[in-house]
Amino acid sequence: MEAVKNGELQQASVLFERYHKRIFNFLRQLSNDTMLAEDLCQNVFLRLIKYRNSYREGNRFQSWIYQMARNVFADHYHSNKNKANYTDVEKMKEQISETDENQEEQEQLLHRSLARLSDEQRELLVLTRFQHLKYEEVAVIMETTVANIKVKVHRAIGKLREHYFELEKTN
Amino acid sequence: MEKENLESLLIDYIDGNLNEADRLMIEKELTENKEADVLYVQLKEVMNLMNQVPQVEPSASMKPKFEKSLKEEISFSTRQKQVFFQPWMRVAAAVALVMVGVIIGNKINQSRQHEEEIAALKKEMESQKNLMMAMLENQSASQRLTGATVAYDMKQADDDIVNALVKSMNEDTNTNVRLAALEALGKFYQQPHVRSQLVLSLATQKDPMVQIALIRLLVKMKEKQVLNELEKITRDNNVMKAVKDEAHFGILKLS
Repeated sequence: MEAVKNGELQQASVLFERYHKRIFNFLRQLSNDTMLAEDLCQNVFLRLIKYRNSYREGNRFQSWIYQMARNVFADHYHSNKNKANYTDVEKMKEQISETDENQEEQEQLLHRSLARLSDEQRELLVLTRFQHLKYEEVAVIMETTVANIKVKVHRAIGKLREHYFELEKTN
Repeated sequence: MEKENLESLLIDYIDGNLNEADRLMIEKELTENKEADVLYVQLKEVMNLMNQVPQVEPSASMKPKFEKSLKEEISFSTRQKQVFFQPWMRVAAAVALVMVGVIIGNKINQSRQHEEEIAALKKEMESQKNLMMAMLENQSASQRLTGATVAYDMKQADDDIVNALVKSMNEDTNTNVRLAALEALGKFYQQPHVRSQLVLSLATQKDPMVQIALIRLLVKMKEKQVLNELEKITRDNNVMKAVKDEAHFGILKLS
């Protein structure tokens, strides 16, 4: 990243190669929308190039790019807030019908349970469990303490378990 | 054990994050507490599920799309570089711009200040002049004397002032006023108009005090035009002896 910051923009290509799959999946898991995730992922890497001067040397690049991805997602979410409810339900239906065919029942149940969590809880689980980031790194990304992250993640898992087995019963 | 605390410990247990003592404690709890065991099994199931969620491959079109926008950004940033050069050049340009602004601002300010000063000076001179002229025409001799003194303190005299002073020097009824007017005119003797008026005055002056002062001044001015007039004075029987002596002395000095 430092090379990119110093003007070797072509080096951004290497970063894209290395991180775009991870960031794409992160955004897909947050949004439940593959197409949107691809667009947002592009935006993340464009921002990376545009705002390369805001990267502070010595900071971990991975934390920085996750932070950027969170901002891109938040920006998108805010700008679409008014129509969010309508489109989200539509997308959810699509997603569910899609997963009906392709995914196992359990995984479907997991996604429905995740959908019932708060945005913050869902994001924490995506980062720590789907993306397998360490609590320390999530604490850096979210600019809080490790202890705080750990408590929140544990609570989110507890909630997820409740929703999951509740839904399983009604199925 | 409180449920939330137990849940948290169970999660750490599943994650393998517990120390030896806590691990043994939890394992004991699991064998003894049926509810804890159910909770453990359920937590493990959702956590395993989350761990197994597969990463999806993004579509192949992403990479070329990115490469395209990267190329655009590269060409844009090199273009920008050509226009703006390096950051220090931009800083230098900004500094230069500020300096030019300051200089222009100063100039405008200075010239405005000058104009203001000149206007104030003119106004002051005007009022001083009016005051002086009024004084010279006053009924009281002391006021007229003060007027002549004011004229003496002036840095410059225009025609109005010179004419007023000449009039006082030649026609005022008071000797002191006439002397003061002469003294004031003497200060401006380098002005041609003043010079000629002084020369003319010598022929008409009848007051001995003024005559003597005038002769001294003209001699000091090295005004040779008055030689004839001075000789006339030396021959004039109506003129006081002291004036004649002064005229003789003047002739000696000038010739």
